[in-house]
Amino acid sequence: MISFAWLIPLFPLISFMVLILSGKKLKNASGYLAILLTGISFLLTIGVLLDLRTITEFEVIWPWLTVGEIEFQAGALINPLNGLMLFVVSFVSLLIHIYSLGYMGEDDRKSSYFAYLSLFTFAMLGLVMSPNLLQFYMFWELVGLGSFLLIGFYLYKESAKKAARKAFIMTRIGDAGLLIGLILLFWQTKTLSFLEIFQAIEQQKLAPGMITLIAILLFIGAVGKSGQFPLHTWLPDAMEGPTPVSALIHAATMVAAGVYLVAATYPLFLASEWALIIVSVIGAFTAIFAATIGLVQDDLKRVLAYSTVSQLGYMMLALGAGGYVAGVFHLTTHAFFKALLFLAAGSVIFALKNQHIKQIAGSGKHLAVTKWTFLIGTLAISGFPLLSGSFSKEAIFAALLEDGQYGLLAVALFTAFLTSVYMFRLYFLVFHGKGEDKPERTVPLCMNGPMVILAVFAVIAGFFGSQLADWLAGGQGSFAVLHHSPTWLIFLATLVSLGGIVLAYYIYLRKQINQEEWKETFSSTYTILYNKYFIDEFYENTILYSTRAISYLIFYIEKYVVETAMAFVSGTIKAIGTRGSRLQTGQVQTYGTVALLGLAAIVLFFVVKGGYM
Amino acid sequence: MSAVPAQGYLILALILFCIGLFGALTKRNTIIVLISIELMLNAVNLNLVAFSKYGIHPNITGQVFSLFSITIAAAEAAVGIAILLALYRNRRSVQINEMDTLKH
Amino acid sequence: MGLLSLLLFSPMIGLLLISILTKNSDHKSIHRYAVLGGIIPLVISWVAYIQFQGHNQLAERVSWFSYQGGQQSFVIDYELALNGFRLALILLTTLIVMLAILASVKQITKNPRLFYQWLFVLELGILGVFASDNMFLFFFFFELTLIPMFFLIGKWGHVEREEAAYKYVIYNGLGSAVLLIAIVAVFAQAGTTNFEAVQAYMAQRDDMAFQVGVLIAFLVAFGVKLPIIPLHSWMVSVHVYAPPAVVMIHAGVLLKIGAYGLLQFGSGMFPDAFPVFAVTIAVLGLINLLYGAFLALIQDDLRKVFAYASVSHMGIILLGIAGMNTAGYQGAIFQTISHGLISALLFYLVGILILRTGTTNLKKLGGMWTAAPVLSGLFLTGALAGLGLPGMSGFVSEFMAFVGVFEQLPLFGAVGVIGIILTVVYFLRAILNMTFGDPRKNKYEKMADIGKGELFPAGVLVAFIILIGVYPDSLSQLLQITLETLVTGMGG
Repeated sequence: MISFAWLIPLFPLISFMVLILSGKKLKNASGYLAILLTGISFLLTIGVLLDLRTITEFEVIWPWLTVGEIEFQAGALINPLNGLMLFVVSFVSLLIHIYSLGYMGEDDRKSSYFAYLSLFTFAMLGLVMSPNLLQFYMFWELVGLGSFLLIGFYLYKESAKKAARKAFIMTRIGDAGLLIGLILLFWQTKTLSFLEIFQAIEQQKLAPGMITLIAILLFIGAVGKSGQFPLHTWLPDAMEGPTPVSALIHAATMVAAGVYLVAATYPLFLASEWALIIVSVIGAFTAIFAATIGLVQDDLKRVLAYSTVSQLGYMMLALGAGGYVAGVFHLTTHAFFKALLFLAAGSVIFALKNQHIKQIAGSGKHLAVTKWTFLIGTLAISGFPLLSGSFSKEAIFAALLEDGQYGLLAVALFTAFLTSVYMFRLYFLVFHGKGEDKPERTVPLCMNGPMVILAVFAVIAGFFGSQLADWLAGGQGSFAVLHHSPTWLIFLATLVSLGGIVLAYYIYLRKQINQEEWKETFSSTYTILYNKYFIDEFYENTILYSTRAISYLIFYIEKYVVETAMAFVSGTIKAIGTRGSRLQTGQVQTYGTVALLGLAAIVLFFVVKGGYM
Repeated sequence: MSAVPAQGYLILALILFCIGLFGALTKRNTIIVLISIELMLNAVNLNLVAFSKYGIHPNITGQVFSLFSITIAAAEAAVGIAILLALYRNRRSVQINEMDTLKH
Repeated sequence: MGLLSLLLFSPMIGLLLISILTKNSDHKSIHRYAVLGGIIPLVISWVAYIQFQGHNQLAERVSWFSYQGGQQSFVIDYELALNGFRLALILLTTLIVMLAILASVKQITKNPRLFYQWLFVLELGILGVFASDNMFLFFFFFELTLIPMFFLIGKWGHVEREEAAYKYVIYNGLGSAVLLIAIVAVFAQAGTTNFEAVQAYMAQRDDMAFQVGVLIAFLVAFGVKLPIIPLHSWMVSVHVYAPPAVVMIHAGVLLKIGAYGLLQFGSGMFPDAFPVFAVTIAVLGLINLLYGAFLALIQDDLRKVFAYASVSHMGIILLGIAGMNTAGYQGAIFQTISHGLISALLFYLVGILILRTGTTNLKKLGGMWTAAPVLSGLFLTGALAGLGLPGMSGFVSEFMAFVGVFEQLPLFGAVGVIGIILTVVYFLRAILNMTFGDPRKNKYEKMADIGKGELFPAGVLVAFIILIGVYPDSLSQLLQITLETLVTGMGG
């Protein structure tokens, strides 16, 4: 089965092509077609995973582009990490295809929606089985395209247009870093294949400074895609897209691609101490930074978006601290519980047609399945004991402790506290309270089903931590170790998580702590947080402004220097023309005279020079 | 009868040619321009005949050529005057400086 | 008559077909004959492609004239030859001219007979430029392209068409003058204008000063055509005021003569002296890339956005050439072909847009997607191709050009990569403002979507763009031998 692994992304691609070319005719069938083909991919992935128990690495490559003696290749690389990612992507994608059947059921452009979703699935599957950085980069951009198209899916909304454009541009900034990094790497190692790059690093063919530079450049790409500070601003705006899309792309898979990039090129990062430090510091900062913003947002999806940014920061933090397994572990568990949270949020929006949590004010309690699954997701992300999030977070804390990063450990713990506060704030505000609005629609089975399945995974995924470590160790070797925490740390983490829940309980459910008073006491802090630290405004006033200034500067150069020069050149030539035409009087005698003078001059020249030359 | 030296013919031809050229380039009356052109042609004829007698290899070709050119000159004068008449009918003028249709 | 001559003169068949028709024949039959006339060179060029694949060579030579001057003999022959690069450009030419004819069917209503006659002369000129194997013939055909373009712009263009035509002819005329001087200088020294013979001659002569001088002249001459900033403003006005069908040929093929000339005349003939210019060309390339991008960012006219985008994309060609290695050259060549396809696509769509709305002013357009989803989708596809999305030809060429330039000049490469961020910004700004957004903002809400018949040319172009993007070896196999000669000539 594993030798057919390269077929996995092709089924969604077929789905995309069929739907984009003849989607209008298929109408309702388009959704079923996309589900069918994604389902085939999922089954094939399962087959590949079964094979992976015995074969730890499988690579198939074809020549793709010949440049003199250099040959760039395309193909598929299956190793434990890629296999795991394949599973996560195809599984979540399948569930979200099914969910979308209900969520997008009444949309006119359903076939386009499923086409884009298939395109994204294709790209994401291709991404996680790339054997080399070039193919990785190509699919990396293509998932960006899928994300762009789906964010802008409600294309009649100005905000959707802006969000889509912003997402494309912000991630492209990161991609530029990635591209520079990979080209530099190519000239250092003469290859882009992951396996050959790792060999080159092992043989110490690269100067340490170069490794650091390249690792940082690759990380810039990851920062863009995974919404890390300072390129995070597109991710909350990306919530303009349909909610299932937010669940798939902007929570479970694409945004995790940055983390996957760091994991897939981990030997490169391990070879550079500075790169690791930068990864962990950026990750930690993003985690706490986004969590504080998440505390005060009032839009259901935006809170989840900032929570995603924060959790991605966690994963980066783990990778930067040497917690390879911890990072990948958290990526996996996060994919399940965050997709679950988004889907549940989606059904709230679907049923209540409202996503402002203060306006919903508890109306969510009328949706029983949604309420319970959302609670499971919330507990998981808050690190409630025995749910998946608690295990992966605990692994991250352990990795930090092992690495001796006590400062970062403190940040991580505090972030965990904030996480449970804002997640339970969300939960209490949406599902507990007066709940005056009755749902306008019932949530169909095709939406509830995926939520329940994801809820099961969000509960049990945590128990497979050590199996995951063994699994990853099969392919990657020495650095795939799962760190275990001392008891006091487990105790502390649990305490922090429960503390957050209790605090949220008293503020938002029992209302014993008056939040309005707090708001007034810390009004400036609140304003800063509510406006997301004014980062967007900062970019608007610095980068965008200066770009526009340069544009206008060049515009005036063009207008006054270049155009003037052109006017001068063409003016001169036209003037010569007009003057010249005046010589043509039509008087034959004048012509004759000039001819005679010319002849005389030539004769004179010959006489004086005595022959030509 | 003493032979006139070759220079004599050539100088005469030169003078005739220059007079013709001057007339052709400066005179306003087209008839005179035509006559001046005849003058230039005749100067050439004179040269041809002179060289057929006093040239490095004296032979009859020069005289034959001069006959040709006299014939052509006659034809040319006929055509020239025909054009001139046509112009005169159209414009009521034979002043050459009024004819500048070549400009267009 | 050999296949190459047949190919070269095949546009004459179309010209004759059109000329047979009287002035008063109805436009439909004129268009029909024109389409027929466009198919002939297309078919012959593909025959040439098949022939070429067999032996990687296709050449023709007839003695034309020669004379003895001093101790040297001076020879100019009628010689045509193909290599992979030229063949690719010829295939591009015949394809784009064909599609431009299809585009003209609806867009040209004024005296189509004369229009097509000029168009076929133009095609003959372009084919000649790419097929000729010596500088003399090259120059002859180079000049031949000037005249039909002048009339095509001046007679069938929009608003300031005559001004644009004059600018075009003046700038290119000056460029040609410089080119002619350089060619004559080389001819006087080498006694031949054959590309290979000149290269052989220059290799045994160790006269850097002369070679550098000639190269500067070539850089200026082809810099006008490419165009290199600050010689570009004629090209912007042609983009804006010429009829879109003509711009398809202009942006798609004619500008490529500049890139072709730089490679063939520069690296192909002066392999020793050319690397002297690496940094200069890289600087010029960066200026083109950024200057064009920044200007494209603030234009209000879609055609101007695309024009400055072309300027910017030409910068990538220059950067690739500045790499002076296989990857860079291949990137430059790929970008030449790819940009030809992409700009032909974009201007084809512009033509259709103008038929529907009569304007390309971005302030008047908006929310088009609901009324014309397929047209909008194609515009978006074109923009994505232009901004170098993987899976389309633009990415492959950009990638290789950057790989090339990074080997020697990594800093220039890095700045260039940052420059392509701007590409995304201006393409998305223009296209999204036009297609996305509130449908109520669309003043042309009843505009028809792209018709079934109109879909074909766009489909063909998209298919080629994606083919090269997905499987670039389809093109690069053709180029390998050409590249070898270009690069190994460099003392490599």
